[in-house]
Amino acid sequence: MLRIYGRFALRRTGQAIVVVVLAYLFTFVVISILPGDPVTSTLRNPDNGFTEDDIARIVAYYGLDQPWYVQLGSSLGRFVVGDLGVSLRSNLPVGTLVFDALGSTLSLAAAALLVAIVLAVVIAYGTQFLPPRFGQGVLRSLPSLFLSVPNFVIGLLLIHVFAFGLGLFSMIDTETPWGTFFAAVALGIPVSAQLAEVLIASLDHESRQEYVAVARSRGLRSGALFLRHLAKPSALPTVTVLALIVGELLGGALITEAIFGRVGIGTLVESAVASQDLPVLQAVVSLAAVVFVVVNLVADLAYPLLDPRVSVGPSGRPAVSASREDPAPLLREEVGIV
Amino acid sequence: MTIRTRPRRRLLGVASALTVGAILLSGCGAASTAAPSADATPKPGGDLVFLIDSLGATWIPNNSSISSYQGNIWGHLTDKLVYVDAEGALSPWIAESWDENADKTQFTLHLKEGVTFSDGTPLDAAAVVANIDIWAKGRPDEGINRIGLFPSANYQGAEAVDATTVTVSFSAPTLSFIPTLAYHGSILLSPTTLALPADQQADLTNDIGSGPFTVEKVADGDSVVLKKRDDYDWGPEAIGHDGPAYLDTITYKQVAEPSLRTASVESGQAQVAYNASPQDLDALKGEGLTVETPRYLGFVNGYALNTTVAPFDDVRVRQAVQHGIDRDEILSTVYTEDWHAAESLIQSTVPEATDRSADFAYDPDEAASLLDAAGWVKGADGVRTKDGQKLSFTLYPNPYLQASQSVDELVDQQLTTLGFEVNLETYDVPTYGQKVIGNAAVPATEITRSFVDVGTVAGVLTSQKKGDEDWFKVGTSDATLNDLATRIATATDRDARAAVADELQGYVLDQGYFVPLTQIVQRVYVQAPDVSGVTYNGLAYAYYLDAWLND
Repeated sequence: MLRIYGRFALRRTGQAIVVVVLAYLFTFVVISILPGDPVTSTLRNPDNGFTEDDIARIVAYYGLDQPWYVQLGSSLGRFVVGDLGVSLRSNLPVGTLVFDALGSTLSLAAAALLVAIVLAVVIAYGTQFLPPRFGQGVLRSLPSLFLSVPNFVIGLLLIHVFAFGLGLFSMIDTETPWGTFFAAVALGIPVSAQLAEVLIASLDHESRQEYVAVARSRGLRSGALFLRHLAKPSALPTVTVLALIVGELLGGALITEAIFGRVGIGTLVESAVASQDLPVLQAVVSLAAVVFVVVNLVADLAYPLLDPRVSVGPSGRPAVSASREDPAPLLREEVGIV
Repeated sequence: MTIRTRPRRRLLGVASALTVGAILLSGCGAASTAAPSADATPKPGGDLVFLIDSLGATWIPNNSSISSYQGNIWGHLTDKLVYVDAEGALSPWIAESWDENADKTQFTLHLKEGVTFSDGTPLDAAAVVANIDIWAKGRPDEGINRIGLFPSANYQGAEAVDATTVTVSFSAPTLSFIPTLAYHGSILLSPTTLALPADQQADLTNDIGSGPFTVEKVADGDSVVLKKRDDYDWGPEAIGHDGPAYLDTITYKQVAEPSLRTASVESGQAQVAYNASPQDLDALKGEGLTVETPRYLGFVNGYALNTTVAPFDDVRVRQAVQHGIDRDEILSTVYTEDWHAAESLIQSTVPEATDRSADFAYDPDEAASLLDAAGWVKGADGVRTKDGQKLSFTLYPNPYLQASQSVDELVDQQLTTLGFEVNLETYDVPTYGQKVIGNAAVPATEITRSFVDVGTVAGVLTSQKKGDEDWFKVGTSDATLNDLATRIATATDRDARAAVADELQGYVLDQGYFVPLTQIVQRVYVQAPDVSGVTYNGLAYAYYLDAWLND
């Protein structure tokens, strides 16, 4: 059993490394097949009045006149020894740029995750214990509403009401507690929808189980019932979804940071994409891939350990022992985790 | 996992209605101060917040000084040798005076004494020589550009005669040298900064100037905070301001979303918003904000027509385009009353500009008869043809110019009624650079460029010299144009040159080589009413040396 698990863990880890390398290569290819390069675009601004000779000499300084495989080779060579190179846009070291931006994004993502979890739990709890006439239907449709309203609309609304209207935070100094809170709300609302969906589904499933009827018949109150009996089994699939949500947060941070004028990884990516700043993009994409892959890896490796009913089958994939019925894998299928 | 069954569009509509509602609500709380009275006395102190779309890319001075964004900041960190006002008049700044020899190949600059960079280094002749050298040549092998409009081709060298005297020599008459010293690329930096490698110059805190403000804090891609320099006392004479600036600090904060920039000014969280969209300006004025639309010196916005491709190889078709465009409709549809129709191929603020608007006035009947005379006949579909060929061409909106696409869409409509078939191809900056710039088959190139000296025009007309841009693809085939370009380029007398410039404007427009549209406003400033004393130079940048805040 342990040997099977070890092999499963090893394979999963190997796959994770391949994904990161592929992400790095993919970024290079995508940016390379785009027309033009950031240096030439800037120099060709007609306001500059440069001749093509002027431009060619500067482009040569950046090595952008080399064939693609030479550029890829030297960038990989640097990457392997941990040198992330220099930004083509700002001429500043990529490592410094990423490190400076990381703190802001981490605090935003953490706050947004917290907002999302609180919202999801409140909504899910409500769907179980509110009488159907008193808004249970509304609560059940909230997640799809949250998913359909674009992130930037929520952001703009929050800014206009709370920054310009009530003056709780200002657009000039965005990293204040209030500023971070409202940005986190804008980012957390769509994320909470996914969590709430899964939580509602598994609560529905669990509350149909016999033990719940037994507990209710013993006169257990809703709150206690939720905490003592429903919360734990329903949390398991939610943990899985959390891994996916890390991706959501990374993607959503890009828009949220742009709207709220925060300087983080999102805005760094945005300016790097706009200016085809390959070294910065490769660093950020690799970092994002590492985070995403590690979180999912941890979730995958932890799953068989967390839930005794899930074992690693001969295929090296978590499988359900046939004797027991378990909602989690079904849910994993449902949310598209295969 | 979630099936999105809800109609997104309706939700979006609701959301945007809510957003608009919120904006209106928050607008009610906006501070509305009365405009300051004319005799208001300046008061020292105060912090000005300037919201900008972008803080540009690198901070290497030579590579960023002419950026429309970073130029705002360089203008406060550094001084120039010569000042140019909004009408193109030159006046002393760090250079107190200058002499030139008879054939305009050698110039002597006499520097103001006692000027220092903020690191304490004197701004003396040696420092000026180091600056002129790097403007002229750059260090391209180290990634440092030269200054594009500097007359580098004829530059022979600069020399420090004594601590306050510099001589600069050229191999041919160079009337454009002195005006170039006032150009936004010609910023004076400490020799210490100039000696640094590119990646250290890219850190703004290493870039030491002699200007009224110094760098206090930089957050890459977010904000730059400038602090007043207390011992500053050498502002441009033309501004008439002695001593240091009134403002304590200026904060340039990047806010990419235009509506957020202007809403911040309305709500009193900032004093200036850069580059609002023209459609919003009237509403902002209604809110009591000031809108400044300074025009830089340079070419107007218009099309340089390629005389080697059909249908523009026929002068009558080129003239038909000139007369077929209704500039008033462009102004009233795309812009506001703050914009002006073009009167020539150069902006009216250039001293040598002459009003030639009659040569290309809107006249659809004239345009139609020109096309008839050229043998283009309207078909059943309304498109003119000749020998089985359609009267058709492609326009590429200039991505470096705001509102270019809206203007081109309108031109498309106007020319279509005349019987043209106009195709619009819109590209982003990198694609435009690859497909349009330098492509000899592009029929019409949309121009936007600033310059400080009319001599610049000589370099774009023909292909007589290396580096000439040959906008109309006439090469050296037009003897009259060759002659005009040469006479402008080699002039040694400004008054005589002005007469040549007048002749040249008439000839280029008469031949239909250039189709003027509107005078360019590249920089729009939306300002809170409590800001006073802002000046705008010939490059249309706001200058806050003499500015103060009334409470």
